[in-house]
Amino acid sequence: MRAEELCKTYKMGEVTVEALKNASFELYEGELVVVLGPSGSGKSTLLNIIGGMDTATSGRLYYRDTPLHTADSKQLTFYRRNDVGFVFQFYNLMPNLTAYENIALAVQIAQNPLSIEELLEKVGLADRAQHFPSQLSGGEQQRIAIARALVKNPQILLCDEPTGALDFATSIQVLKLLKEFCTAYNKTVIIITHNTAIAQIAHRVFHLKDGRIVKIENNPHPIPPEKVTW
Amino acid sequence: MLWRKVFRDLKGNKGTYLACMVIMIIAILIFTSFSNVADNLRMSQQNFYQNQNFADGFIEMEALPFGEINKLQKIQGIKQIEGRMVKDVQVWAPDSEESVYLRLVSIDPLEDNPLNGVFLTQGIPLKRDEMKIWLDSKFFEAHNLQLNDEIEIIAGGKKRALTIAGVGQSPEFIYALRTSADVYPDPMTFGIAFVPLEIMEKLFGERAFNNVIFSLKPGVKFDFVKDTLEWELKPYGVKSIFPRADQVSHLLLETELENLETMAQIMPVMFLAIAAMILYISLKRLTEQQRGQIGILKAFGYTRREIIGHYLTYPLIIALGGSIPGGLLGSMLSGYLAQIYQVFFNMPDLSAKFSPRYFFLGIILSLVFSLWAGYQGCKNVLRLEPAQALRPPAPPGGGPIWLEKISFFWNMLTVQGMMAVRNLSRNKGRSIFIFLGIMFCFAMSGFTWSMNDLIQTMLYDQYEKVEVYDIKLSLMLPLDQKDAARELAAFPGVLDVEPMAEIPVTLQKNWLEKDVSILGIPENSQLYIILDNKGRKIPPPKEGLLLSERLAALLEVDIGSKLRIDTPLIDDWSPKELEVTGIIPQYVGMGAYMELNALQQFLGQGPLATSFMLKTAQGTIKPLQEKYRHSPFLAAIEAKDQKLGKMQEMMASYGSTIYLFALISMIIGFAIIYSSSTITLSERSRELASMMVLGMTPREVLSVITFEQWFLAWGAMAAGIPMSKLMLGSMSQALSSDVFTMPVIITPSSYLLAFLVTAASIGIAQLAAARKVTKLSLVEVLKARE
Repeated sequence: MRAEELCKTYKMGEVTVEALKNASFELYEGELVVVLGPSGSGKSTLLNIIGGMDTATSGRLYYRDTPLHTADSKQLTFYRRNDVGFVFQFYNLMPNLTAYENIALAVQIAQNPLSIEELLEKVGLADRAQHFPSQLSGGEQQRIAIARALVKNPQILLCDEPTGALDFATSIQVLKLLKEFCTAYNKTVIIITHNTAIAQIAHRVFHLKDGRIVKIENNPHPIPPEKVTW
Repeated sequence: MLWRKVFRDLKGNKGTYLACMVIMIIAILIFTSFSNVADNLRMSQQNFYQNQNFADGFIEMEALPFGEINKLQKIQGIKQIEGRMVKDVQVWAPDSEESVYLRLVSIDPLEDNPLNGVFLTQGIPLKRDEMKIWLDSKFFEAHNLQLNDEIEIIAGGKKRALTIAGVGQSPEFIYALRTSADVYPDPMTFGIAFVPLEIMEKLFGERAFNNVIFSLKPGVKFDFVKDTLEWELKPYGVKSIFPRADQVSHLLLETELENLETMAQIMPVMFLAIAAMILYISLKRLTEQQRGQIGILKAFGYTRREIIGHYLTYPLIIALGGSIPGGLLGSMLSGYLAQIYQVFFNMPDLSAKFSPRYFFLGIILSLVFSLWAGYQGCKNVLRLEPAQALRPPAPPGGGPIWLEKISFFWNMLTVQGMMAVRNLSRNKGRSIFIFLGIMFCFAMSGFTWSMNDLIQTMLYDQYEKVEVYDIKLSLMLPLDQKDAARELAAFPGVLDVEPMAEIPVTLQKNWLEKDVSILGIPENSQLYIILDNKGRKIPPPKEGLLLSERLAALLEVDIGSKLRIDTPLIDDWSPKELEVTGIIPQYVGMGAYMELNALQQFLGQGPLATSFMLKTAQGTIKPLQEKYRHSPFLAAIEAKDQKLGKMQEMMASYGSTIYLFALISMIIGFAIIYSSSTITLSERSRELASMMVLGMTPREVLSVITFEQWFLAWGAMAAGIPMSKLMLGSMSQALSSDVFTMPVIITPSSYLLAFLVTAASIGIAQLAAARKVTKLSLVEVLKARE
């Protein structure tokens, strides 16, 4: 994936807000990227554009040579459908579907899905498959949400503050899962956070400030998630 | 400042509120117009009856010598009694395609306050010895007549000229039908003429009354004098004696008025209830959504009353926006309705002006409904304490539902399907609302289309399958069937002749009785076909009677029951009985049938016929009319085609009403589906957005909601089938009269049409909802905390 001078401006009434300014970067297979920055620095905007939920005001974005900056909403839908997985801070599970069914919902539209049972096993929730979200803890819900994102077997996994609503121990579990997916399946994982500690597990760290990527830092020796503390 | 919020909120969900307002406009429109017209009609009727001294009882008879009437005056309970000569004659109208008839009614020009007095709208009083008459105003207008014009009639076999001295209206002929088989008054072919008694004597050379009318002293019931009158008049041949309630014109006017009054009450309440439901649900949703805002308002120090006041401005605006235009349109419509009634009902002072009373009542009515609904919708959130209100509500729980136990069904569903089905039970109130809405939409359109079908069937069956003759000749007096038939058969162009006897009788079963005609039909009649309820031809019975369904129901008889028969044609006192051998459906008219010879034998008066049915070559009617116009024996020559054509013309006016009903049911269906979809959308925007992020297309996302609606819709439409039957049943009961019986059959094509109308309104509503789905902003929706 390649981005060239991405800009995003929002019109809020009379005021124009530049949420993203001239962002250029490349993303590779099998790498874990952490995007760091204070709130309002443009992290989410960047993620939304990469994930095809939003389009840039100017600049170019290519996914395996397919231009996304000129794609219409239908093409973006299929990009999200086939190539992207999303994990949110607040899980966004369907409250009236069981854990299993929430994952099955994604399988239904996937081209070559992974096995639901296998994933449930992997996130350690095989015994809770028939529970509804309201019967699960936050960490369990997030793990189901990750399983739902992974089951489509996407090339890119985008995580917006995936541990933001979780306690420390649960967060580590979640991060382990993400890291595993990245290395075992050779996929791209992008994690947005303002928790600098998490950056230690990444291959590369993007620092954002006022809508600009101020620094891209290489981390030749990422540490395993279980060794992270904060 | 809060006013701005109100308008912005309303704008934000304008589709729903607009639909709600339209339903309210319809409700108030119906309310004001129907109530207004019903009131005016009722008032005109009562004034007219009182001013013109409308009779309480009516007697039809053979011949009562002039002198005898004074004796009856002494009968206890009778206030006023008058004898009259009433004769139907043909008008000499050689240019007219159809036969034109006048009913001559004798009046006494010197009488001060006669019963059934004529209300003179133009012209001068009549004199006892001048050949001058008054005409009823409808006939006068229909024929473009002028005062002092002469009108020629055929009376006693001779052509006579009568001069029009005046034009008037009579309470007895507000709805003027010539025979009980007619459905609508037709002033082109039938009118009333009021003639001085002395002139009637001259015209017909008779000195006897054949019609008596009377009024009762205050507090006296009709039944109290009936037997005495019957006894006194028996030697003079009483054909029938009946109270005002059975007088045709009064009966039909009264039925129409009652229908109108019922409709004016039921329909608006029904529509208002639907509008109230939509409001209730929308406001409930709005206040839940604005929980936080309410909390802030409370925290600011707004009182509960002020906040309720704020939320009640929504229903207030909708109620006013619905009722004011509704009331104004209703007032306009009532003028138009009054004009329609004027076509059918010949009464003075028939008009409907703007009625402030109903206008304001309409506003109050809609205010009550919508404010109540609004209050119910928002009261729960308002009870919360500010801190509590600021916190989001507890998240909705999910759980398995009973349908999942049916694993065969459950396993068929897609995951979206499961979501949809669980949602239905999660929000039971709304599911019931959608269910009822769709059921109502389906039933209403099914029943309206059915009515359309049925009216066609009724006419078609009667005139294409039952009465298959081309021309019917009615005789003044019964004649020997052979001579007359021979003469008619010899007439050029006549292909077939069959005699028929129509005998007025009173059928009696215990205390129930009914005045009808027994139709004597030849055994192998080719011109009058009797059909049973499966549409098979059956011969008229040689022993016993065949009754129409309605007649059998009125007399509460079944096959095998015995009926007592009274007829003026039998002088014999001994009671005669006939057995009911069959019951057949009959939609136009209400009759009893018998084989002709058997009927003649039963009467014991020889082979007499009262009318003849003819099958003719084209163009025979004209020469036939010309030849027999002068005949003293002939009462009427009717061509069936003309009768049918006229009926169809009249029925066409029903057509527009049916489209109106279909449109209304579509609006309701649309309003309900649309409002519930938009509410669902806003309530579950987060869920739906997550699905789009997963990569589902807007169509796939919408399918959750549409699946829900269709899942309900199928059940609701199935439930709509009995409901439409119920509606048609009550409509049939309201509309059916001795003239007209409406069967309760919903035709398959109506179900199909009802399905299409319902599906179309659901489809349109979903299309509108789909536009909202594509506009869902993923970024914003998912950012928000749950």
